[in-house]
Amino acid sequence: MAQQANVGELLSMLDSPILGVLEDITAAFKDNLICDRGPMLVNNLVDYYLETNSQQALHILSTLQEPHDKHLLDKINEYMGKAATRLPTLSLLGHVIRRQPSWKHKLSQAPLLLSLLKCLKTDTDVVVLTTGVLVLITMLPMIPQSGKQYLHDFFGIFGRLSAWCLQNSGHVAETYLVHLHASVYALFHRLYGMYPCNFVSFLRSHYSMKENLETFEEVVKPMMEHVRIHPELVTGSKDHELDPRRWKRLETHDVVIECAKISLDPAEASYEDGYYSVSRKLCTSLKHHQTDPSASHYIDTQSSYGTSTPYSTPRLTLSQMPGQLPQILSPQSMRLSTEPQQVTIWSPSAVCGMTTPPTSPGITPSESSQSASQPYSKAFSTSAGGKGTPLGTPATSPPPACISDDFVHVSLPSAAATPPKKEDKPDPGRPLLYRQQNVTNSEKSLDTPGSKSSVTLSDLPEFLGGLSFEDSAEKDREEDAISKEISEITTDAEHMVPRGGFDSPFYRSNESLSGSQKKTHSVVSSVQGHGLTSEPLTSSLDKPGPESARETPKQTFTPIDKPCGGSGESPAGNREGTSGETSILTPSPCKVPAQRRVGFGSGQPPLYEHLFEVALPKTAYLFVGKKTEELLKKAKGTQDEDCMSSTSPVEVLDRLIQQGADAHTKELSKLSLPSKSADWTHFGGSPPSDEIHTLRNQLLLLHNQLLYERFKRQQHALRNRRLLRKVIKATALEEHNAAMKDQLKLQEREIQAFKLSLQKEQARYHQFQEEHENIVAQLHSQIRQLQHDREEFYNQSQELQTKLEDCRNMIADLRLELKKANNKVCHTELLLSQVSQKLSNSESVQQQMEFLNRQLLVLGEVNELYLEQLQHKHTDTTKEVEMLHAAFRKELEKAKFCVQQQSQRLDASQKRIAELESQLAKKDHLFLEQKKYLEDIKIQARGQLQAVESRYKAQKRITQAFELEILDLFGRLEKSSLLKKLEEKTEAAEAAEERLDCGNEGCADTVAGYSEETIGRNGETKPPSTRGSSSSKGGSSSELSTPEKPQNQRFSSRWETSMLLEPSTTVPLTVGSLPSSKSFLGMKARELFRNKSESQCDEEGVTINSLSDTLKTELCKDPSMETKAPPSPDNLSLSPKIQESSVGQLHIMDYNETHHDHS
Amino acid sequence: MADDSQRNFRSVYYEKVGFRGVEEKKSLEILLKDDRLDIEKLCTFSQRFPLPSVYRILVWKVLLGIIPPHHESHTLVMNYRREQYWDIHHALRIIRFINDSTPQVDVFLRIHQLESGKLPRNLAFPLEPEDEVFLAIAKAMEEMVEDPIECYWLVSCFVNQLNSKHKDSLQQLPKILEQYLNVEDNRLLMHLKACSAMSKLPYNLWFKKCFAGCLPESSLQRVWDKVISGSCKILVFVAVEILLTFKMKIIALNTAEKITQFLENIPQDNTDAIVSKAVDLWRMHCGTPAHSV
Repeated sequence: MAQQANVGELLSMLDSPILGVLEDITAAFKDNLICDRGPMLVNNLVDYYLETNSQQALHILSTLQEPHDKHLLDKINEYMGKAATRLPTLSLLGHVIRRQPSWKHKLSQAPLLLSLLKCLKTDTDVVVLTTGVLVLITMLPMIPQSGKQYLHDFFGIFGRLSAWCLQNSGHVAETYLVHLHASVYALFHRLYGMYPCNFVSFLRSHYSMKENLETFEEVVKPMMEHVRIHPELVTGSKDHELDPRRWKRLETHDVVIECAKISLDPAEASYEDGYYSVSRKLCTSLKHHQTDPSASHYIDTQSSYGTSTPYSTPRLTLSQMPGQLPQILSPQSMRLSTEPQQVTIWSPSAVCGMTTPPTSPGITPSESSQSASQPYSKAFSTSAGGKGTPLGTPATSPPPACISDDFVHVSLPSAAATPPKKEDKPDPGRPLLYRQQNVTNSEKSLDTPGSKSSVTLSDLPEFLGGLSFEDSAEKDREEDAISKEISEITTDAEHMVPRGGFDSPFYRSNESLSGSQKKTHSVVSSVQGHGLTSEPLTSSLDKPGPESARETPKQTFTPIDKPCGGSGESPAGNREGTSGETSILTPSPCKVPAQRRVGFGSGQPPLYEHLFEVALPKTAYLFVGKKTEELLKKAKGTQDEDCMSSTSPVEVLDRLIQQGADAHTKELSKLSLPSKSADWTHFGGSPPSDEIHTLRNQLLLLHNQLLYERFKRQQHALRNRRLLRKVIKATALEEHNAAMKDQLKLQEREIQAFKLSLQKEQARYHQFQEEHENIVAQLHSQIRQLQHDREEFYNQSQELQTKLEDCRNMIADLRLELKKANNKVCHTELLLSQVSQKLSNSESVQQQMEFLNRQLLVLGEVNELYLEQLQHKHTDTTKEVEMLHAAFRKELEKAKFCVQQQSQRLDASQKRIAELESQLAKKDHLFLEQKKYLEDIKIQARGQLQAVESRYKAQKRITQAFELEILDLFGRLEKSSLLKKLEEKTEAAEAAEERLDCGNEGCADTVAGYSEETIGRNGETKPPSTRGSSSSKGGSSSELSTPEKPQNQRFSSRWETSMLLEPSTTVPLTVGSLPSSKSFLGMKARELFRNKSESQCDEEGVTINSLSDTLKTELCKDPSMETKAPPSPDNLSLSPKIQESSVGQLHIMDYNETHHDHS
Repeated sequence: MADDSQRNFRSVYYEKVGFRGVEEKKSLEILLKDDRLDIEKLCTFSQRFPLPSVYRILVWKVLLGIIPPHHESHTLVMNYRREQYWDIHHALRIIRFINDSTPQVDVFLRIHQLESGKLPRNLAFPLEPEDEVFLAIAKAMEEMVEDPIECYWLVSCFVNQLNSKHKDSLQQLPKILEQYLNVEDNRLLMHLKACSAMSKLPYNLWFKKCFAGCLPESSLQRVWDKVISGSCKILVFVAVEILLTFKMKIIALNTAEKITQFLENIPQDNTDAIVSKAVDLWRMHCGTPAHSV
């Protein structure tokens, strides 16, 4: 696989000594890691690291990003399982964790944690245990919340390890146990700080058992002496301290500080707020009684700060001086000012002279180290300035005014000294801002000296105590160095510029290691130097502040150049060779352990003793008390465990290290530098392997401890940065407030000025007003006078006017009179002219009159003539007209009357017409009614008639029946008689035959007549006598002879005549018997019946004829019959004629009748 | 009906409930009060409702034209009629066609014969079929009417009406019978046809004699009401109803002769029901009687 090979190559090149290659390789690895998500590369790296212990690999591994964490943890877990690789794996893990990777929260879920806990519970190797515990302690604040599920594992581990410390079951070296004890102590602090309630309850339950009692007495109890009561024990509970909300707000460093707060151990504790002051006060008050007056005095002077103790106030006052301590006001500097030498000296790096500076990933180490080193010097420079006065004046009662005066001097030069320093800083914004504030704050800085002196005063005794050992020779050297450095100021600036360019990560990592080591040394030296220079500074107050301030940058910056230039005028060079040697001889940390190994186990150099005293005021107290004992112990090379009961395990460890370091230096001083290995052999022959192993392990442990401490320091740095930010904000706000106050004052002043001017203006205004009023009054009086005058004039004018009016009236009167006179004159003139005219006129008139008179006479005559004529004519015409008028009038009246009459008539006639019309309508109605009635009657009559008719028909039938019967009878009779006669007389039979013929005819006639009679008589039936028979001849003749009989009687007459002709007929037929002319109906009926009867007669006649014929045939052959036959047709032929005529008559009559009836 | 307001307002509902003839008497009286009797209205009434027996003879006489519509001339006309009757009666006595012992029916027959001019030469002449019809009708009528003169006139006019007015329609009746029988009961018709009895049914008795002698007088009156008022179709429906009523018996009989014989002598017990049904049937088929004339 190409990639595999590639990785191998890369790994091999990872530790190449060429810088460029290194950079490339690292970049290549990072690229690979970004591109490749697989576990292969990480695994290779881990393997490589475990094999070679390569720093480059470690660096890459510790900066791994998110997706690779799992592979890394898996790999570490894998190696953790193996006992052989456990230790390096643990150290790798420690390295990785101390980097605080972004995926640190995943640690709690990773199986690695479990295996770590398991390892801690089961492993017996002290080195592994110590390393593991340190890793665990480092890890705990990172996973405060998710780690609670392993709480009892933690406690269990604590229990086991604490017991281990006492029992020393593995019979390991005592030095190991010291390390283990220190780490258990740290674990105790961590657990107690994080989970106090749970931990205390665990302790209670665990050490209530008898077998653990000894452990408690020996190990745990001393630990508890170094902690305060945790406030959570009072306010919290087991559940509450596991509450996620508690941890949510806290970051890792917060947790660390939280834990440090409850510690009473100065090595562990964090003295941020009241805790420290209380604990410190207890210590210092006991130790330094002589400082009380000044302290009390300072409480008085600083009463404005209220309850703040003298030790806490300096910080605040310092923070109020931005002009003097502009950018460097980091928390470290503040802490330095309060407990100046302690921390600096107590840092193990300072003690060992080899510590690498905190290479936190976010911040450039060189800068931070600079900023860290500068504050020291700065603080000392100021403090040195402050120290001058207490030294010069009696310490018991220092006059405040004097101090304030002094500090004006001190502060001003320092303020002046700051500008060059500010220019060194990369941030250009701040200096400007602060410079402006320097001017305004000049007044405020007056308050500061007290605070400064408080700093110095509190530490003064210790300083003095510590400094008394120092020889004064150094002072001269220092002076020389200062004078030289002043001359080099210009070149320094040039040196500093290229330094910024060297700020690449790699350069930094290598260079800063060596550089910072030197710096720390230089710091120490500068501290010493300044401490010494404080005395002479009283005489020359102007210079030292700035000088020393300038010195420090030099000292810090120069070491990088200086080593190249070998020895020289650097402060380090001025010191003893040890520090210089270490700085020069340890460019890489790899060599340091070797040097250290020598240091350990050897005696202490007395040179550092006083430094410890200065740095550790508290421990120094103990230290001095037990110095003799310690010296004895140091000679043995081991530390007594019993004495540790009162001291914290950390101190014991420190002491161990110091002893080791002392021994090392001692050994080193004896040895020649170049050949160390040879020295070894030369020194102690071949060292025993056991010893070497022990030493190596010790070194490892120490390294682990160191790394842990460094981690702690990082946390502190983080916190410091945060606090600094807060302080800066606060100061900015205060500045703002001050500026606002100034503005307010200015504005108030302006307001005052305005008020004054206002008053002036008001006064002027009043004056003007008065003047104005005076003028107005004057004017008013004038006006009044003038008005009075005016009134007078007015009156006069009025009087004059009245006079004028009078005059005018008089003039008018006069004029009127004049007019009148004129009028009169005119009138008279007119009259005169009129009169004259009249006169002339009258004359002419007279003439005319005469003429007219004459004319008049003539006309009068003519008139008379005409009058006469007229009188004659007029009389006639008028009379005629009058007459005519009268006549016409009368005629008109008449006509009018006539018209009236006519109209009346018209009305009457119209009414009449209406009446007549109504009558007509009535009549019409009546007419209709009549018609209806008539119809009704007609119908009625028709019904009756029908009945009658049917009766008549019945009668006819009856008659027919009778006739038939009669004929039948006759027939029978004749037959019988004939038979008789035939038998008797044949002659008679002939005659009888003739008669029979006649009789037959006559019989027919009579039947017809009879029928008519029966109708006429209205039903009175009588059997007609058939006896009378007459000859038909006579009948015919008589008929012809009687033509003049009335028409309506014609029929009857005919029948009458025929009847009359027959003598046998007895009943005469009378005309009156018929229903003749009495009523119309009767007549009509008769006519109708007759008509019908006529027609029937014909029929009957025919039938009769036929009968007779049949009779004839029956009666056999009779020749006479044939001869007689013609007359009967004749007779019958007549009847139609009559019928026609009668019918015509009937028609005429009927017409008449109907006409009449209708009318 | 001029006097509608006087009539009982309930009259409309009587018929619905099934009471017939409750209001008819009153309305008939109102009709008869008119001076000039309205023959048309009387006809309609008689067709629509059964006549009350009190006024039956009068209505018949009016409808048959024996007496005119005017009340005034009633007595006069009746006198004429009587005289006519007696005249003929007298004449017949004279010619010795009748005597005191002669039964009334024969007297009526002779008078009718005389009046119509069909009197035979002597008594020995055999009776003609129409005489038989007359006799049957007269016999039935004699039971209904007391007065012989009225009876004679009614018989005579009734027969005349049959002969003149209904002569044509009477001949159509057998066909109509078959038609309606087909509608009412097809099976019976088929049976009758199968027996070839259709042609041999007593048509003479039914249609010529108008059931005289077949039905009792009380039922016959109602049939004749309709016939006199102008509808001879009722005869068909009576015949149909007779056939339907005796359907089972007729079907039981197989030969035409037997059927004819049975029909000529049908039982007299429930003839009223037959007539009522027949009237209903007639109403149903011919709709409003006024239009079925």
